[in-house]
Formats: sequence, structure tokens, C-alpha cells
Amino acid sequence: MLSLWKWFQERLGWTSIQQTLLERKIPKPGRWAWAYTLGSATLVVFLIQVLTGMLLGMNYSPSPDHAYDSIRYIMTQVPLGGFLRGLHKWGATAMIVLMLLHLMRVYVMASYKRPRELTWIVGIFLLLASFGLGFTGYLLPWDQKAYWATAVGTNIAAQAPFLGEWIAKVLKGGEEMGALTLSRFYAFHVLILPTFLALLIGGHLFLVIYHGISAPPSPKGQPEGDYKKLKEEGKSFYPHSVFKDMVMAVLVIGVLFFLSIHFGADLEDPADPTDSTYNPRPEWYFLFLFQALKLFPGSLEAVAAVVLPTVLILVLILLPFLDRGEKRHPLARPFWMAGGMLAFGFIAYLSYQGWKSPLVNPTIEKNPFVLEGQRIYSQLHCAHCHSIRGEGGGVGPDLAIAVSKRSDEWLANHFRKPREVSPGSLMPELHLLEDEIQSLIAYLREKSGGGIPLQAMKVFEENCRSCHRLHGKGEEVGPDLSQVGNYRKAEWILRYLRDPRSVNPEAAMPGFETLLTKEDLEGLAHFLANQRGQ
Amino acid sequence: MDRRDFLHLSTSGLGLLIGASLFAPAAAYFLSPAWKKKPEDWIFLGDIHKIPVDRPTKVEFVQRHKDGWTTIEEKKSAWVISKDGKAFTVFDPRCTHLGCPYRWDEGRGEFLCPCHNAVFSKEGEVLSGPPPRPLDRYAVKVEAGKLWVLPALKKD
Repeated sequence: MLSLWKWFQERLGWTSIQQTLLERKIPKPGRWAWAYTLGSATLVVFLIQVLTGMLLGMNYSPSPDHAYDSIRYIMTQVPLGGFLRGLHKWGATAMIVLMLLHLMRVYVMASYKRPRELTWIVGIFLLLASFGLGFTGYLLPWDQKAYWATAVGTNIAAQAPFLGEWIAKVLKGGEEMGALTLSRFYAFHVLILPTFLALLIGGHLFLVIYHGISAPPSPKGQPEGDYKKLKEEGKSFYPHSVFKDMVMAVLVIGVLFFLSIHFGADLEDPADPTDSTYNPRPEWYFLFLFQALKLFPGSLEAVAAVVLPTVLILVLILLPFLDRGEKRHPLARPFWMAGGMLAFGFIAYLSYQGWKSPLVNPTIEKNPFVLEGQRIYSQLHCAHCHSIRGEGGGVGPDLAIAVSKRSDEWLANHFRKPREVSPGSLMPELHLLEDEIQSLIAYLREKSGGGIPLQAMKVFEENCRSCHRLHGKGEEVGPDLSQVGNYRKAEWILRYLRDPRSVNPEAAMPGFETLLTKEDLEGLAHFLANQRGQ
Repeated sequence: MDRRDFLHLSTSGLGLLIGASLFAPAAAYFLSPAWKKKPEDWIFLGDIHKIPVDRPTKVEFVQRHKDGWTTIEEKKSAWVISKDGKAFTVFDPRCTHLGCPYRWDEGRGEFLCPCHNAVFSKEGEVLSGPPPRPLDRYAVKVEAGKLWVLPALKKD
């Protein structure tokens, strides 16, 4: 065993790895010690993203037809699928947070100064790539948030001067958002950006080791110490720094576990391009941009959407060449500290405002069965033969009316064997699974309720209001009908309307069998069956 | 134990903790197909009084079933037999020898397989030929006069 270990050590050059990596000296970090763990914590989270991303990839399908369902499958059917997706979602947030904190540490200590300019620049590209991963990542579930955030994001890109339209088309993979956009974003999210990021991380780490980790700045007024000497006086990377990195990693992973278990990752309704009731909101790390757009109306919008972010990125990239000189202590660089705090404060303020900004549309909870039923309704092309409130084919009955006349049990049997339940029916057998039948019924119930057919309203006003009260209007000769739907089904009401005495021998109400047409009677019964009070 | 040894040990310990806490859920997620149970999709065959008594009848049906996050349709068939119109037996339509589709021979009152001349009785017992076991049966249930079948082979 020991000789095998030795064999590998020799072949791998373990001694020199040990010397250059593990036993290299780190300048004494002093009170900044924990701030030095932010970079490695970011790396740990990146590795978690890689792991959880690989696992999610096993059950995800990047096409508009399947993306949402496959994510829902992960959330509901795969053991720990929801937990791992939660880790991935919160990992994205943690990665951005830790990166920004790491950036602040480096900014405040001016560690980007000679000879570490390139380390800083690579770091900025790492940040940009991570934002790119965030942006491409949240389209993938193809839910409402994904769809609208991406629609807004690509439209922002379209506002770039000169090349805007062109950039937007390249991002979307075409004129419109759709299947090509999703697969393109998927390729960016799982192939292009991670590869790019991994290479950048390699470069970043190489530079960190090659130049050595920067020493904390000297106190204000004193010249910076000789790095070589500071390094000699320091402690070895392993185990002293690694121990702190490990403690930090355990902490970060603990927080991620908590967030994933406690809050999880949400999955909104499926993307619906026609929905005008949704409140699109970006992820928190894009909120400042979202809010900034409100400050620059009209033709100035491109300033907020494109010019300002570009300037910010350029300043960050060029920072080592703008803030030059030996001085590194924050108080010795008042201009850059004030500028940095101003910029950070502004971004934080905008993010807060964006987060707080009221939702214009009311949020409506939707029944998942109804959504599933809607999907089945379109998948089986029910609308070729049936209409719902006039929309669809005319071969079969209008389902809004037909469904309100039947019980759930009748509907379920009908879906199982249409021709046995309704002899002579043209409806084909659908072979639906039991849960599909329940979803379809939920969807049709939803569609048949709500909304008021105008004709039925008119019929009610002309024939019934002289005796019955409905929602505070009409006479009180007969009973108030505002809540009749709570205890009567449309079938019963229809029978009563035709000939009240067949149901109740003592009824004073005249029968309407001969007074109204068949359609009007059915419409009226359906209308009344939906009166369920307030 | 000096400080260096202590740090060395605790670093390794924390590393193990991280590794295990990530490995466990990842493994559960990755390996879950191994113990996932197939859902039971009962198929509605029809009213029991429409099924002929004491004469094997081939029924054809379409089975929808879940395939991951999608639902797919498959055409299937089975043989239904009832002695008294109350208790039902449903046979898998494949010969237990090599899976050929057997048929009912009314004149002989036996099931015949065209591949290797296997013969089964009305009860599914092997009368002659190479099949290693009687015809496979599907689980059946009768609810409110409706016959339901679970077209899946039981794995023992």
C-alpha cells in the first residue's frame, strides 16, 4: 500500500506540488484573515453548481414542449430533486454574493495593483461569466419568470446602439423567442459558459499562486512592506490557510442547505406569452438594472440599459491602470474609496428600490390541476371539435355549457368510455389515465364557471327579475337566487325551469318550457348554476 | 498534538464532512431509478356483461402511461376468459416460450401458438410444446360491473 502511494507520488511529482502549492508561505493576514477565504468559498460554490448542474441535466429537456414538465418532474418525482435544484438556485445567488464580497475585499485592499493587474482583470471576466450563467440559467425552466425575464433581457440588448437588433437576434437565435432561444441558452449555460469559467478559474488560480497572495496593506502613511520579506515571515498555506477556507466552506454549504430546505426553488406557472396579468421581475442581481430603466425614459433608455453598465464594466477592467501608485491602504486612496462606495451605494439603492417596487398586477394563484388539464386539452386537440365559450370547433357541444350540467362522476365515466355513456356520440376514446381525467375535469370546471354569458343575463332580466332577486337587484316574490349554485346543479335547475311542478308540486312559478327556446333555457340554467354568492 | 497536527486533522475532518454531505444527496438522486416503482395503470376494459361467457375473447386497448415527464400511448391486447360472467381471467397475449402471438382455436378449444406448435388449455396450462410455464396472467378487478385490468407482468 505504502509503495503504491510512493509510486504515484513519484510519477505525479508530489514533492514539487507539495512545495509550490501546499507549503508556500502566505503573508500574515492579520485581522483580514477571514476576508481571505472569500475567493476559495466562491470556488467551492462553483463546484457545487457543477455537481448539482450535472445531476439536474440528467432529468432536464431543453425544449419548450418539455422543459417545464421535466423540471416539475425533478421537483415532484425524483428523490431529493427539489433539494438539489434548491441548492443550484441558491448556489447561484451565493456565488454572486461571495464574488462581490471577494471583489470588495480586493478593491478595499487595492490588491489589484502591480503585479496583480491581470489577476483582477481575469476576476472581472469571471464575474461577467457568472452573470451570464445566471441570466441563461433562469430561462431554462420555461416558466413565467423565465420567459418574461428573458424577453425583457433580450429586448434590453436590442437597445444597444447600432448593433442592438442584431445582438438581440443572435441571443434569441431568431426573430422571436422560442425553441431556438431555449436550446441556445441551454448550450450557453451548460457548455460554453462553464468551459469559459473553468478556464478563467484556472488562469486566476495560476496567477494567484504565481504572484503569491497579496499582503494586507500597510497602515496609512507607512510605505508598503517588501513582499518577499512579508512572505518569508508568513505561515504555510497548508494547513493554516486551508483550515480557515474549510471552515468557511462548511459555513457556506450549511447556509445553502438551510436555504434549499427552507425556501427551495420555486417553479412558477408555465410560460404563457399571452398572459397579461404577470408581474415580470428579474433575479435580485439584475434588479438594479431593472430599476435604472425607470429613471431614463424614452430615447434615453439606452443610457441606463447599455451605456452605464458598459462604462461600469470598463472602469472595473481598467481599474489597475487608473488607480496607480504604491499606496494601498483604503484611507490613503480617498478618491477611489469614495467613488467605489458611491457606485456601490447607488447600485444597492437601485436594487432595494427595485425589490420594493409594487407589483402592478394582482397575483393570482392557479390550480396545478387546471394547468395540467389545459395542457391535455390542447395536446389532445379537443378544440378541433369542441368550443369553450365560442372558441373552437362546432362538432361537439360547447363544453362551458355541457360541463356545468354534469357531475364529476358522469364526466369521468364519459372520458373513460364516451360512446358507452352517451350512445351515438362521435367522441373517440381517449385512454386517459385517472389523474389526467381529474385534471381535465378541473380545467373544464374552471372554464365553465366564471364569466357571464350575455344572452343568459338578458333572459334573466326579461323573465325572472320581476319575481326573483339576484345580487341585490329584482323583486322578492320568489327566493333570492344569488347563491342558488351552491345547492343546485344545472340539471336540476333546467328541470325546474321547464316545469316547476314536476319537481315541487306546490311551486307557484310558471313553467318556461314553451316560453323560452331550448338554448335560452340551457343557458339560463347554466348561468344560475354558477351563482355562488360572494 | 501540536497546532499543525490539530489543523491537519480538523481540515481533513471538515473535508470529509463536506464530501459526505454533498455525496449523499447526489447519490440518492443519481441512484433513485434503481428502486423506483412502476406506477400501476389500471385499464378499463368494459362492462362485464358485454364479455362472452366461457369463450376466450381477444380485447384490444390503448394504454397511456407515463414516460418520465411525458405520457405515451401504446396499443396492446389481451385474452379475457370468464366461466360464469363474474370472475375473470386475463392472459398476456404472448406465448411464454418465445413471445409469439398465440390464437384461440374454437374447434379444438385450445390456444395454439404458430411458432413452435405450443398448445395451451383454456385455463392457460401447457398441454404440449416447449413453453416453460402456463400463460402469464394480468391482475384484474371488477368494480361496479366494470372490468379493469393491469396489463403488466408480475415480477417475482
